[in-house]
Amino acid sequence: MPSFNETQPIFVQIRERIAAMILTESAKEGEPLPSVRSIAADLSVNPLTVTKAYDSLVALGVVESRRGVGMYVAEGGREKLLAHERDTFMSEEWPRIRTQIRALGLSLETLLKEDSK
Amino acid sequence: MTSTIVSVRNLRKQFGRMEILHGLDFDIPPGRIYGLVGHNGAGKTTTLNAMLGLTSYEGSVQVLGEDPYRHRARLMKDVAFISDVASLPRFLKVRELFQMLSDIHPNFSAEKAVGFLEGTDVRLGAVIGNLSKGMLAQLHLAVVLAIDAKLLVLDEPTLGLDITYRKRFYRRLLEDYMTEDRTLLITTHQVDEIEFMLSDIMFIRDGALILHMPMDQVAERFAQLVVAPDQSATAMALKPVFAETRFGQTVMVFDGANRDALQALGQVTTPTLSDLFVALMSRDTGVSK
Repeated sequence: MPSFNETQPIFVQIRERIAAMILTESAKEGEPLPSVRSIAADLSVNPLTVTKAYDSLVALGVVESRRGVGMYVAEGGREKLLAHERDTFMSEEWPRIRTQIRALGLSLETLLKEDSK
Repeated sequence: MTSTIVSVRNLRKQFGRMEILHGLDFDIPPGRIYGLVGHNGAGKTTTLNAMLGLTSYEGSVQVLGEDPYRHRARLMKDVAFISDVASLPRFLKVRELFQMLSDIHPNFSAEKAVGFLEGTDVRLGAVIGNLSKGMLAQLHLAVVLAIDAKLLVLDEPTLGLDITYRKRFYRRLLEDYMTEDRTLLITTHQVDEIEFMLSDIMFIRDGALILHMPMDQVAERFAQLVVAPDQSATAMALKPVFAETRFGQTVMVFDGANRDALQALGQVTTPTLSDLFVALMSRDTGVSK
């Protein structure tokens, strides 16, 4: 069983795993996602924690909760998720990375050269 | 109808002249998974016994709106429990046990119990006295899961079981028991194993509740700091509830401290339940180590 890290709340880590399933299209739009119960049992976590993870994706319109049936990837959900993740990256992670790049004095040429290797 | 599953007010218990529960107050709402943690002899089992109607007490205890001591038989339709000392009749075969339970318990389904035993090594024709400890635990779990109970109380349910059995045991509970109108109360010493399963935690020490809160509040209130080498004195000034030095590395636990202030002094994480337990159990005892 993959374990959790200590720095982020568990529901955030579960949310990221569900998001990864959608982004990599191992669950495509309109397809079912694992049930709250099965994720809770697989990871030995409280079902409310899994529900909290799903709720945040439902609020974004990425996941659709069909009453009495389960969770599905919403139509257009992957695009919405991608847009949201890009925003989060630009506003939260990029400033930190940019600061680090500057602090290390790395030039754009060096970075691009490394990237095309 | 009852929105609270368990409601306890000023629960006291004396054995002879010794008072071992000093006035407990707590409510347990439905749909939660509660962990009750304490040292041996702290009063865990006595508290559970009071809730199950197995012991007399002072104060008020309501379980599903009933007084457990006076209406135990009625209550047991909706409450199931596994305790480490609970024993199933050793002379019966598994099949006979299920038959007997169907006869005496209105909410027991033998069909469900048989279903829960599928995939285990427990055979219906086996004599209970011949089962191994692990198989007994599986049988016991199958029995309680086959009771349509609103409250399930587990007192050290996995004591003496190996890690594979323990994992399977908790998996079953999450898969086959938990729903939003059911409630689970677990005591265990292997608290790290069930940490992420819990929605709420209660610590009991010397007959008193010293902590009772939802797990997400634990992360907000308590912080663990691995102190940077030169920051020990500054960190000490923020009054940790616990400090310990191991291999030259100092670890402190703080209650209600500002996380941003701690970030400057070292590495901050949320303490695991077992770290928090050790920290709070060693606080204010007045006993020098």
